[in-house]
Amino acid sequence: MNSKLGEFEEIVLMLVAAQHEQAYGLSVTKAIEKELKRSVTMSSVHTALYRLEEKGFVTSKIGDAEGNRRGRRKRVFIITSQGKIALKETREARNHIWDMIPKFIFDIA
Amino acid sequence: MKQAHQHIDPPKWAERFFEWYCYPPLYDSIIGDLYERFDDNVEQYGQRKANRKFCFDVLRFMNRHTLKRKGQSKFYNNNMSILSNYFKVGFRNLMKNRSFTAINILGLSVSMAVCLVIILMINDQLSYDKWQANSEETYRFTHYDQNEVNIPMATVPMPLGEAMQDKFAGFEHMVTFRRGFGGDVIQNGKAIALQGYFTEPSFFELFSFELERGNPETALSTPNAIVLKKDIAEKLFKDQDPIGQTLEVGNKGVYQVTGVLKEFPGKTHIKFESLVSLSSLDKLEKNKVLGSSIGNWGNGSETWIYFKLRDGYSIETLKGYLTEAEKEHYEPESDEGKEFTLQKMSKITPGPLHGNQIGAGMPNFFVIGLGVLAILIIVCATFNYTNLSAARALTRTKEVGVRKVMGARKGQLTIQFIVESILVSILSLIVAIGLLQFLIPAFQSLQMSSLLEWELKPDLKAYLQFFGFSVLLGLITGIFPSLYLASFKPIQAMKNSVSNSKLSKLSLRKALIVTQFVISIVLIVSSVLVYKQIKFIVEKDYGFSKENILNVHMQGQDFAKFENELEKLPFVESVTATNNIPSMGTEYSDDVKLSDGDETFSMNYFDVDEDYISSLQLELIAGSDFIKGAPSVNKRAAILNETAVKQFGFESPLEAVGKQFYIENDSLALNVVGVVKDYNHMMLIMGIDPMMLRYDPSGFRIAQIKVAGFDIVKEISAIEAVWDEFDPNHEIILKTFQGEIDEFNAFFFDILYIVGLIAILSISIAGMGLLGISTYAIQIRMKEVSIRKVLGASVKGLIFLLSKSLSIMLMIAFIIGFSLAYMANNVWLNQFAYRTSFGFDVFLMTALAMVGIGIATIGWQAWRATRANPAATLRDD
Repeated sequence: MNSKLGEFEEIVLMLVAAQHEQAYGLSVTKAIEKELKRSVTMSSVHTALYRLEEKGFVTSKIGDAEGNRRGRRKRVFIITSQGKIALKETREARNHIWDMIPKFIFDIA
Repeated sequence: MKQAHQHIDPPKWAERFFEWYCYPPLYDSIIGDLYERFDDNVEQYGQRKANRKFCFDVLRFMNRHTLKRKGQSKFYNNNMSILSNYFKVGFRNLMKNRSFTAINILGLSVSMAVCLVIILMINDQLSYDKWQANSEETYRFTHYDQNEVNIPMATVPMPLGEAMQDKFAGFEHMVTFRRGFGGDVIQNGKAIALQGYFTEPSFFELFSFELERGNPETALSTPNAIVLKKDIAEKLFKDQDPIGQTLEVGNKGVYQVTGVLKEFPGKTHIKFESLVSLSSLDKLEKNKVLGSSIGNWGNGSETWIYFKLRDGYSIETLKGYLTEAEKEHYEPESDEGKEFTLQKMSKITPGPLHGNQIGAGMPNFFVIGLGVLAILIIVCATFNYTNLSAARALTRTKEVGVRKVMGARKGQLTIQFIVESILVSILSLIVAIGLLQFLIPAFQSLQMSSLLEWELKPDLKAYLQFFGFSVLLGLITGIFPSLYLASFKPIQAMKNSVSNSKLSKLSLRKALIVTQFVISIVLIVSSVLVYKQIKFIVEKDYGFSKENILNVHMQGQDFAKFENELEKLPFVESVTATNNIPSMGTEYSDDVKLSDGDETFSMNYFDVDEDYISSLQLELIAGSDFIKGAPSVNKRAAILNETAVKQFGFESPLEAVGKQFYIENDSLALNVVGVVKDYNHMMLIMGIDPMMLRYDPSGFRIAQIKVAGFDIVKEISAIEAVWDEFDPNHEIILKTFQGEIDEFNAFFFDILYIVGLIAILSISIAGMGLLGISTYAIQIRMKEVSIRKVLGASVKGLIFLLSKSLSIMLMIAFIIGFSLAYMANNVWLNQFAYRTSFGFDVFLMTALAMVGIGIATIGWQAWRATRANPAATLRDD
């Protein structure tokens, strides 16, 4: 199984972790729009979530039907330990790259 | 929560569409998200934009995660293995019910074989001229004669082409064909008949025929140039190079070969052996070798004109000019009047019936008729399959139940049974292709097959069509039984208590069987009648003797000399000459009148000599025969038949003798010297028209030789020897009189053959169907029969009980079928001047056939049921 974490998937996974046990398709979509000021379609978020599930980074369960959902239940996504490891690894990789950047670059600004 | 917006709903169709495609486990969560988002959007942007966004989202959501998938597993489906299981179970099931399988496959394959032949015939017809590059853009002129039968003529007057070119600038190519070229070519001491058309160099531009040898631009430009088809060139010149050779063709002059055509890549409706430059025609018409057609608006039967228009010119404009030409060249309301029309080349063969075709072709109603016949046959066979499979359903209920319990859905079961029926139809196809090997030669030996040049060799494309046809057939036949089988409720099916009310509803199946029998009864009655009619025609007394008469065609040789030679032979009883053989469908006629100013009427004539009446044993009822050795007297004499006497208005034959009448366009009067009893000088379907026998040696084309007939083979070879000495250049054309008439009647035998074959086919299919349904109808009553038997019912009583309803059905079919057949057959029989009667014998024969089939199917099954041991059937209860 392909367990590489894509860029967009990484963001989605982070948000799933952030909205602990409250993350579902629309909540993640809204968070991306709010935090990253970036427009995104709901279907691409859903797709990313399903793909994360296939890769074993998240699991899903049927949640409540709160909100204007006409009684339809949410599918709530929860990060797995494998997901946490993957998230940490990417974080470390980013930090490592971040550290490679010479300090003076930011001084000019 | 914003209760205010609760009542606004997204577009229904988008919701429904989403529900349709969405994978059910994901449906709730996604549609919930969509609703939430929709409500937010309504608040933020208003309903219209929210609607749009909703629809957009629904469309965007379609991907591999959200689409419905088959099977329980998300990413694996076992369709292929279940399909192979269907085949396996289907095959085992077929093997288990051998008798049903045999009935099904036999019935289907026989009718399929006939359908395959018909597919081949239709393919053959459709292949005509398709290889021609311009087949869709090429047209020909056609015409309707005023005051004539309503069949369009493929020919037009020759000047029409030129007249149209003067009026209309849109022609790219125009090709004129003129018939009348032909005659014998004497090559190496043997005469070879050559046929052909006069045509123009543009022939090679309009049509896709190509030359193997010679230059297409010049080959047909000079007078007396001839282009040969490849096979005829090889026949004429063997290994020699044909180019530059000269041929003397009958009385048409000497022609130089300027080209040899390549073999055609396909079939064409233009049938010819050779083409001659149109510029050769002028001289022939001037010398009166051929009738006048150049510039002759009155002659609409010798010329065909084909053309193609330049791009941008419309055919509609041309039609206007055609109407103009009609008015310019013909008096309104005159007999000469013609109405010009157009016909596209791709619509010629198969196409509507035209007179004066440029080659024999099958009119399209025949093609359509064949198609209808094919559908009729296959529908009958389909009914059988449907009936038998529904009947067999009883034995499959447990299987259906088990499959349903294991999780099979209705759709899957439907597919399973359709797969089975496709299996049956493919097996039938294999048998049918085997049968085809016998059917094709049989069809090709038919007279009309050689006339129409049927090519019934199946190629790869045809086999693919066959395969597609059988799969489609399997699909159609399987659909009803499989839907029915798949609809069983599992528990009932397992308990083997599928409601009998459902199964015993035989009404549909009964209707199918009745329809089948009606069709086959109509066909049986028709074929019996066709047989009777043909027998009637063949055996009818023609009114003249055909016994021991041999016909020799003179092929341009002098009759008198030949007669002298023949009379030296001891077995020759008499030799007479004629221009035409009676009862063969060819008629020569002149318009005659009693005196100036009288109405003329058409009178058939035969040019004969003074031995004719005695040789053919015609009965002279008044006056005398032609006088021997007095040609000048005979030339002014005529012998009438009774019908002609009546037509002239003479009181009696005796009164007619000695009277005079005139032939129109001929001032010469003819004296009636005798009257013969009416005999069938026209073909038998026609009747008897006014006719006269004339003495005219210039018309003597056929010698009719009456021989002793002790040893006909020896006598024929002796006559052949005389001919070979008399005319070494021509092969003798000798036929027995009877043989010639039989050959003419062979066409009727062809029809008999086809109708009879189809009748046998349909009756066997219907019989098999009846066998199937009676087996089934009795099977579901087995318990009843057993109980009755235990209670003491007699075998006779039981058989009566079981066969009653089906026999009534057969009777209904018989009544409907027979009355339909009576009406339908009277229509065609009334076309004949001499027709056979419907008669009690036809009724009896058909009825007997029905009783026979009834006994062999219903009776047999009922008898078997009553013989069964009641203990065996009742044990389970």
